[in-house]
Amino acid sequence: MLRGVDLSVAQGEVVVIIGGSGSGKTSLLRCINLLNTPSSGSIVIDSETLFDVDRNGTDRAGLKSAQINRIRAQTGMVFQQFNLFPHMTALQNVMEAPVTVKRQNKQDVEKQARELLGQMGLEQHVDKRPAQLSGGQQQRVAIARALAMEPKVMLFDEPTSALDPELVGEVLKAMVALARSGMTMVVVTHELGFALEIADRVIFIDQGLIAADGPPQQVLLHPEHLRLKQFVGRFHETADLLRPFLEGKARHHELRSME
Amino acid sequence: MTFDFTVVTANAHLLWQGFLITLYYTVITIAAGLLIGLVIGLILLSPFRPLVWLGRVYVEFFRNIPLLVIVLWTYYALPIFSGVNITKGWAGFLALSFYVGSFYAEILRAGVQSIDPGQTDASTALGMSYGQRMRRIILPQAFRRMVPPLAGQSIIQMKNTTLLSMITVPDLLYQGSYISCFTYRPIEIYTAIGLIFVIILVESRNGHGTRKGNTQAPRHLPALRQGRGAAWRRSFRRPG
Repeated sequence: MLRGVDLSVAQGEVVVIIGGSGSGKTSLLRCINLLNTPSSGSIVIDSETLFDVDRNGTDRAGLKSAQINRIRAQTGMVFQQFNLFPHMTALQNVMEAPVTVKRQNKQDVEKQARELLGQMGLEQHVDKRPAQLSGGQQQRVAIARALAMEPKVMLFDEPTSALDPELVGEVLKAMVALARSGMTMVVVTHELGFALEIADRVIFIDQGLIAADGPPQQVLLHPEHLRLKQFVGRFHETADLLRPFLEGKARHHELRSME
Repeated sequence: MTFDFTVVTANAHLLWQGFLITLYYTVITIAAGLLIGLVIGLILLSPFRPLVWLGRVYVEFFRNIPLLVIVLWTYYALPIFSGVNITKGWAGFLALSFYVGSFYAEILRAGVQSIDPGQTDASTALGMSYGQRMRRIILPQAFRRMVPPLAGQSIIQMKNTTLLSMITVPDLLYQGSYISCFTYRPIEIYTAIGLIFVIILVESRNGHGTRKGNTQAPRHLPALRQGRGAAWRRSFRRPG
């Protein structure tokens, strides 16, 4: 349940949204591309209005579903559960939307799709079905699939939460590369390390409201908001508990190699 | 009491004619039923409440009235109400098709609704329209899950065509009762008819290998492994 959120993301900015479960962070993300329909408010992407309903429920934008789909195609989304199409190979997954939605030439799309999958380190796996891939590989296919539509903004909904711990690194690595390439990104995640490393801004959502908004160092390392203190505190506590163990393993951890 | 099964072979040509009629109605009513089921199923899945309600009325109507009543009503009562005279063939065809269509519609609805909502999320987020999502993402996955229940309903449909004999369509059962009228050998004739159904339906199932957990023939039967089943399953894969 969101209770009035004002958020603007600049081009090329990487915004990380954190918050407890049920705080509304996933709802916020799903509202950006209208997978969830807000009861009122407005959504504007690259100066195109996607949604505009006032408090009385009057639709001031009045978009037809075809127009909504067209604007939606300019946003890419990556899901917690990957949601790859299981009846298609990795390559077909990536090619599907450009061919079906944008009606682009199949040969060009295939070339671009192979390139994207290559960037994700998946050259070996282009002809495999999702069921034959590991979680980390599936999520990288999902990122490539979203990028194939050449989106203006990428939305990530807890992209590493369903992964085995040893597979988290490869997905984060792909996301870091994407952020460095200048992609506008809105990321819901529990990976506070990732937020510290790459975010331009961290937003803490609590009970449907933006409770804190600022640079990652300020929000995560010097929290002022009480609930945020508790939230980040738990992370620091866990980190303290795990530190001796983590430091022993850190040498092999891919996160380290990101820098 | 002695049995005399020579009446079966002696009247094989009559049974063969009846069998062809049975097969004919099985095929055309399944084909029409699938079409009806697709339309009604999509109506059941539509976001428009009044449309869904109409679909539900259709399904509940045809699923809950005994088929025999539908067949008899279509042949004897419909012409009186509508003023249109229809042949017994058309009456049987319409009754059987609309009846099985209601079951197919429910199979389609259940098949589509069993697909993870994440698939809709993902395809929607990519900008796909409702039609594109259905055609490219949801239905191809749902159809695979629908094969076993569709096969089951189609088996029932073949057996249900025997009700056509009640409106004197000369199907297998009608021919059987006709033969037993002049041979006085109903036991032999009806036993043979039962066996014909068993053989045809078991054979069609083996050929298509749709039984759950037995989609692959055993290793020591390579002939079956390369049989129609494999080709049929291949036809479900997307080319390219």
